[in-house]
Amino acid sequence: MADREKRRSAGSGSCLAATVAEPGPATKGSDREFLSQAGVGELLRGALLKMVEARPDDPVGFLADHFGSLAAAVVESGSEDLKEPRLSDGSSGDEGARGARAQQRLNRALWHLRLAHHSQRSAFGNNVRVAYDLLSLTGPFGHAGDSSPAGAPGGGVSGALYTQTLRCLCGEGGVPASTSAPLLCRLHCHDHEAVPYGVFRHGVLTCAVFSDYIRQAQRLYAQVCQPDEGPASRAACLAVLGALREALETSRDADSPSVKALRRLEASAKMSPHQLARVMTEAQARGPAGHMDAKEFENAAAELFIARVKVVS
Amino acid sequence: MTSGMNRFNPTITVDEYLAESNVLFYLSDALTQLLEHKEEYTHFGVIRYFAEYFSSVKNSNHILFREYNYIKATPHNRASFIRVFWRCYRQIGKSGDLLSILEYSSLLQLLCPDFPMETVKSAARIVLTDDGFDCLMSFSDFLYAFQLQFYYQEFLDSVLLIYQDLLAGKSPNTVIVPTSTSVEQLPGLTTEENNKEQDLEVEASTLAECIDALCDRIKNSHPPRSCLQEALEETGKVSYHSLLMSLAKHETINLMIGALPSKTEVLNDPEMDQELDKLIAQISVSPSSNSSGSAVSMLKEVQRKASPRRNIHHRRKMEVESDGSTEETDSSEN
Repeated sequence: MADREKRRSAGSGSCLAATVAEPGPATKGSDREFLSQAGVGELLRGALLKMVEARPDDPVGFLADHFGSLAAAVVESGSEDLKEPRLSDGSSGDEGARGARAQQRLNRALWHLRLAHHSQRSAFGNNVRVAYDLLSLTGPFGHAGDSSPAGAPGGGVSGALYTQTLRCLCGEGGVPASTSAPLLCRLHCHDHEAVPYGVFRHGVLTCAVFSDYIRQAQRLYAQVCQPDEGPASRAACLAVLGALREALETSRDADSPSVKALRRLEASAKMSPHQLARVMTEAQARGPAGHMDAKEFENAAAELFIARVKVVS
Repeated sequence: MTSGMNRFNPTITVDEYLAESNVLFYLSDALTQLLEHKEEYTHFGVIRYFAEYFSSVKNSNHILFREYNYIKATPHNRASFIRVFWRCYRQIGKSGDLLSILEYSSLLQLLCPDFPMETVKSAARIVLTDDGFDCLMSFSDFLYAFQLQFYYQEFLDSVLLIYQDLLAGKSPNTVIVPTSTSVEQLPGLTTEENNKEQDLEVEASTLAECIDALCDRIKNSHPPRSCLQEALEETGKVSYHSLLMSLAKHETINLMIGALPSKTEVLNDPEMDQELDKLIAQISVSPSSNSSGSAVSMLKEVQRKASPRRNIHHRRKMEVESDGSTEETDSSEN
């Protein structure tokens, strides 16, 4: 992790370096020595880069979480790699402690995954990598060296942990467990399997996009249904779902980037307010056919999405 | 602190983002503190030190027992201090005690050893019509006046300058906005004169125009314009004193600062009582004095002691240290 961040730092603002290397006035020499010995410069540079990348609305809270999760990692790993020679922990070897530590790692991985929205491609990609590296260290021989290359022989995230990560991601994204269950089924790996990075990335990205998609679908339903009139009419819902399916089908199977872009435009035209209004009036004209509640709509929309997700392995 | 930053706004550069967030200020303070107490924090672990530092900033506990320059350095610090002041001494309001300027000043100095008397006086002046040192104020009156005075110090100083110029018949727009000089350091006016002057009235509309121009110059560190307009629209003529009184009571300003509940709720917060007991136990001189209303007697005791500052500083060190070292480095006070 540290390596990657150093590389990224090459082109960034000079003010960061200035702050990090700003010793007190009096005992410059020994202060500098102290800071470099304790690895403070590197620590702060890493923190600032993470922060600038994610640009959180509450930077102080962000740094608190960041350092907090690093501190947890230090306690957990016996403090070797982060230049904390005197911080020893007495909780090694114990089974219960190991479970707690695994949970902590999972929390930290999830925290990283939450940092950037998936539309911020490079940031999201980096964070997935960091999360993957974190999670692949939980095995009995794992050690928390940030420098250890992920995907080393015998490494990889266990299937159980991978599934748990995806489940948490969907849950945090506001997707009810019942809605995400079929998706997780498709993305499922066996618990004892070592999940390669590509699969992990695909799973995480799919869940992130799926959470967004479901939120949009919920919003769509809210639009269709009049707030004071109870559940929306079945006919209108079906019409909207039909339009949604069409739009999804349009964007599929595109090869070259230009075709892809064209398809996307086409698809969004199909979901334009005008078009939706048209299909809904047509549906109304066909007469009432009962109601559809929010959950049913959500499930139907989810199904459209999930049908397009490839089954893993 | 989260003043409408938009992370998806590509026009904000990294430097602008950092400048807006005050993060560099906190990082540099964290480093300074770290270097001043190297020994302690190497035992503690540097990463854990930064984690604790930033989580205390987040939870607004970071300003406890810090020097005045730190407390007033950022809007978040100011709001945190106002909040902590309220949380620590709410019991005084509950028990209905009325305190004098000196006593409020001592209470503030228990939390911030070098808290200047002048700010306390300015705040008291908003509440009182004449500021004898023995005039008594209720806790909530003082609290909201103090909030306004402390949070918008520089803005109020500038408004007072404009106001004085208007009284003197000068064109106020030539005024150079002071950044940190407090009103009392201005030449030519004793406190007495200052006071009487603040009750004289000027045209509200002229003052409003000048204040509007002032807001343009100082960007974010002023109360919302709508509140200022509201306060100035009500009357044809307005004095500095009456303007501040109405701003201190303005609920929207209170909400914007975000440190205190509304005035009706200020003494009413059962869930905080427990937390409060803990805090009082931390700052009280004798461990047994955490019952209701004892803050006042505790304060009077402290006043008799030669130097409350040392005591507080010592206690702070005791909290951080665990290895029994008693060496003091006092450097954080200078």
